[in-house]
Amino acid sequence: MTYPDSDDPAYPARPSVRPFLQSGPLSAGGYSPAIRDSEPPAAEQTSGLRPFVITSGRTDGTDPDIGMETQVTVNPAAGPVRLSPEMRAIVGLCGEPVSVAEISARLRLHLGVTRILVGDLRAAGQLDVHVLDNETPDPETIMRVIRGLRAIT
Amino acid sequence: MDYEQSPDRHVGTAAVGSGGDRPKRAPVPVKIIVAGGFGVGKTTTVGAISEISPLTTEAEMTSAAVGIDDPGQATMKTTTTIAMDFGVLTIDQTLKLYIFGTPGQSRFAFMWDDLIKGALGALVVVDTNRIDDCYPAVDYFERAGLPFVVGVNTFNGQMSYSLDEVRWALAVREDVPVLAFDARFRGSVRDALLVVLDQALDKAIRQKSTHS
Repeated sequence: MTYPDSDDPAYPARPSVRPFLQSGPLSAGGYSPAIRDSEPPAAEQTSGLRPFVITSGRTDGTDPDIGMETQVTVNPAAGPVRLSPEMRAIVGLCGEPVSVAEISARLRLHLGVTRILVGDLRAAGQLDVHVLDNETPDPETIMRVIRGLRAIT
Repeated sequence: MDYEQSPDRHVGTAAVGSGGDRPKRAPVPVKIIVAGGFGVGKTTTVGAISEISPLTTEAEMTSAAVGIDDPGQATMKTTTTIAMDFGVLTIDQTLKLYIFGTPGQSRFAFMWDDLIKGALGALVVVDTNRIDDCYPAVDYFERAGLPFVVGVNTFNGQMSYSLDEVRWALAVREDVPVLAFDARFRGSVRDALLVVLDQALDKAIRQKSTHS
């Protein structure tokens, strides 16, 4: 499949395509985003990114399995892959079991962002997310918490 | 025949047991919510019982919350950020208690649905000078059927109203405990949480007996 060169002044109009895909300098209005010829300063690349940039624009679609207290560990069978700095930092924290809320707090990532990234890393096989079999706590577990709390002074 | 001596056999068992290669089993997390208005002592409460100094996580009002709180303008939904403090108490190797402090105002209710999922119960912290700050949290927990306890934080042992008066003002059910505690002291917070856990246990036992 070939696409007409948008620089070619004679290229045919294709109304079936979303207009902005064809909007070159010659289209009505003539507006086009300024071409970014330089990367942002290095300092801005790791900090100060607005949350949706880190999640590639997603603000929703969080895995309902991933709660604030859900425990996460590194998947020992994971292969080496290139990860974003935020994802690398998350994986780096998960050598020991750690909760999603702790990841969020320690990396100063918004909770929603953390949940999305943990979900991505789980889907990519980098992390194990330990989903509980039964969500409602059973009496035996509560008894253990009570005994544990009584033991502290 | 001694299989254990065979090197091949050894490799075989190691492969079968590869699940054991994982880092140690993740503990089961349980959580208790500490809710209340600003300045009533939520963070003090969490800090008193937590084995780490309280951590702060930030949550944003996401698009899911737009329907509830309808900000009207799409631009507002990314500007509402709230901070939540939480602490951890390791019960044993396999069990960890998380204590989440959350603002008690109704405009933060959008995140309570997530927060109460799987929660054992809640401690609603009350300052008697501003009792009405906790009404939305009480309303919400009542409706959600989450076991909760009303804890009046006695700053310096001072209370403007008696517990009976607080109970009257809140109009909570008879079986909802209303108690006084001091958020600064670990023992006091522990006792308040134990009352929450009693309520949680009652509910769990009730549920189990209706199931079987």
